[in-house]
Amino acid sequence: MQRSNRRGLFHHADASTLTLRLWEFTGTALLNLLIWLSVVVFLSPLSFMVITFLKSADQLRDGNAPTYPAKLQTLTYKGQTLLVYNVPTSSGVKNWAMLDRFRTYSDFIDPANLQAGPIRWNGFWGSLTLHYNPGITFENFTNLWKTVPYPRLLRNTFIVIGLGELGILLSSIMVAYGFARFPVPGGKTLFLLLIATIMIPDSITLVPTFVLFGRVFNWDGTFYPLIVPQFFGSAIYIFLLRQNFKSIPRDLDEAAMLDGAGPLRTLFSIIVPQSIPTIVTVALLFFFNGWNEMKMASLYLGVRPDLQTIAFSAQASPSYGFTPQTLQASALVLMIVPVVVIFLAQRYFMQNMIIAGVEK
Amino acid sequence: MNTTAALPDAPNKKKSLSLRRYSARVGFLLVLPWILGFLLLKAFPILAALWYSFTDFHMLQPDQIHFIGLQNYLTFLKDPAAGSSLFRSVSYFITTVPIEMIAALLLAAIFASERLRGKRILRTLFFMPSIIPAVAISIVISGLANPTTGWLSLYILNPLHLPPISGRGTLYPIILALWTVGPGFLIMLGAMLNVPREIYEAARVDGAGPIAAFIYITFPMISPAVFFSLVINMISSFGGVALLDRGLPYSQSLSPMESYISRVMFGSDLNLGYASALAWVMFIVIMAITLALFASTRYWVHFAEEQGDAEI
Repeated sequence: MQRSNRRGLFHHADASTLTLRLWEFTGTALLNLLIWLSVVVFLSPLSFMVITFLKSADQLRDGNAPTYPAKLQTLTYKGQTLLVYNVPTSSGVKNWAMLDRFRTYSDFIDPANLQAGPIRWNGFWGSLTLHYNPGITFENFTNLWKTVPYPRLLRNTFIVIGLGELGILLSSIMVAYGFARFPVPGGKTLFLLLIATIMIPDSITLVPTFVLFGRVFNWDGTFYPLIVPQFFGSAIYIFLLRQNFKSIPRDLDEAAMLDGAGPLRTLFSIIVPQSIPTIVTVALLFFFNGWNEMKMASLYLGVRPDLQTIAFSAQASPSYGFTPQTLQASALVLMIVPVVVIFLAQRYFMQNMIIAGVEK
Repeated sequence: MNTTAALPDAPNKKKSLSLRRYSARVGFLLVLPWILGFLLLKAFPILAALWYSFTDFHMLQPDQIHFIGLQNYLTFLKDPAAGSSLFRSVSYFITTVPIEMIAALLLAAIFASERLRGKRILRTLFFMPSIIPAVAISIVISGLANPTTGWLSLYILNPLHLPPISGRGTLYPIILALWTVGPGFLIMLGAMLNVPREIYEAARVDGAGPIAAFIYITFPMISPAVFFSLVINMISSFGGVALLDRGLPYSQSLSPMESYISRVMFGSDLNLGYASALAWVMFIVIMAITLALFASTRYWVHFAEEQGDAEI
């Protein structure tokens, strides 16, 4: 009789079924309303960005312009460009173009009825407001495209991400396979060490790696410092992959090995196909990190503007003298690729981040 | 290398010594890239930084390195800017990580409810800001907080006659912290969905309300995931990269100490010896906090037994 929701926020012990249903319905409605409202507030800076970059340069200079992207309505009449005002008349507010203005009256023309000629309106024009039509512009993107060398930035970013992805996946998968399936001498200690390295702050390795890459290897102004370290694997990815590999039944690789497959063939024909979701998750994590990466880029690519990645170059955009709208447009260009990827891959990514948590 | 019966670790099977040695060797070769990376990119740099910290290593005179003992560490004790950077780094960790953890836990608890509609899209929307590059966030927040054109001033502060809020100084760190809630939220949500329903059923029969159920069932059951998120958030609050990179250069690190170290290194000083000493101080502080967190797990984290080697 009494059906209270296990995880419900509203627990009502002694009530008739009807009241209880009503409670549950109200609770559910409130919960949904609350969470949708909070997502709107949570993402409101992004809506500010979108609404701003759709505005024209004129609109931001205009203090009376509405919040939404809009354009002033104008009328070209006998070779003149006239502004359209909201004019209150006895038959409602009319959108008329102003021909001439005086202290006590003004002359307007009705854009819908040009033949009627000038209409005299009695009153002070200063009390009238300009008429805006909703209208978006993409001029900010055109300006941006002219200033920022996006094709080159994207090419550099994709070279770094592509080669890095190859390195990180190959090495992390192999190392994870080693830890998951083989009696590595001192394996347990090594694995604990691996976990411990996740906690090591970057600043402690900063000076010596800078000396090693920049001075000893002379990699300053190359992609090498951004790509080569990936071929040694990443502790957190190895951890995630190993947890996943361990959950695959051993019978499968034993069968493959009985059929004469060596360790690497077993890895690529049995383990990898079984772990595609986790591997995709790791690949996506690295993609986002490669897109955002700034530490190595700022250390080693500063001397070579032609090799800069998109995130690193965007750091300079506030100093380009862009209009506020173009600046917001540059923020969108910077975030649009990872955002589109997360929406396309949400099924894979979200599910596996969840599994990663459970495995721990 | 294609031996017919390489059965590493197969239980209840008689393994010859050579076979075991073979699979140990294969395992070692597979793990080798990481071992080399560990030695080259972690162990060696940490020790090298320790050595540098006792020298007057200077970027412009790399050939003239002199051992100067503890002098760099004494300089740190007398350097108010370094002290304040370290203090601000630790306070950033103390203030933001609890906010992130509570926000993520709350969000996960709401998402675990069966009453929520449109979970899939909502989950992505709450996670999405966690992958936006910090540069883009900083541009958006500066625009939002602009005293004349930003929404914050136009629609909230001006109508209420409040003074303008500094975008870069105040709003940006808060938004950045909240927009980092994604990974922790997903990890804890995953753990919550994994708690067996029967436990809640039994608790309800015993008269436990939803809050009691959360305190006595949900939280202990998901405590390993809470701890994992805590570690991840701690790493990012100190400027590191755990799961997702915020895309901040050293000079703008979330951790003021990290930016201070890079300023000593690349600023007017170019003093690599002193930078290394500062890095070691930071390293010791972070390791102490990490050890304290791990030591605290015995009081509040309930690790599952069979996963003995997964926990640290």
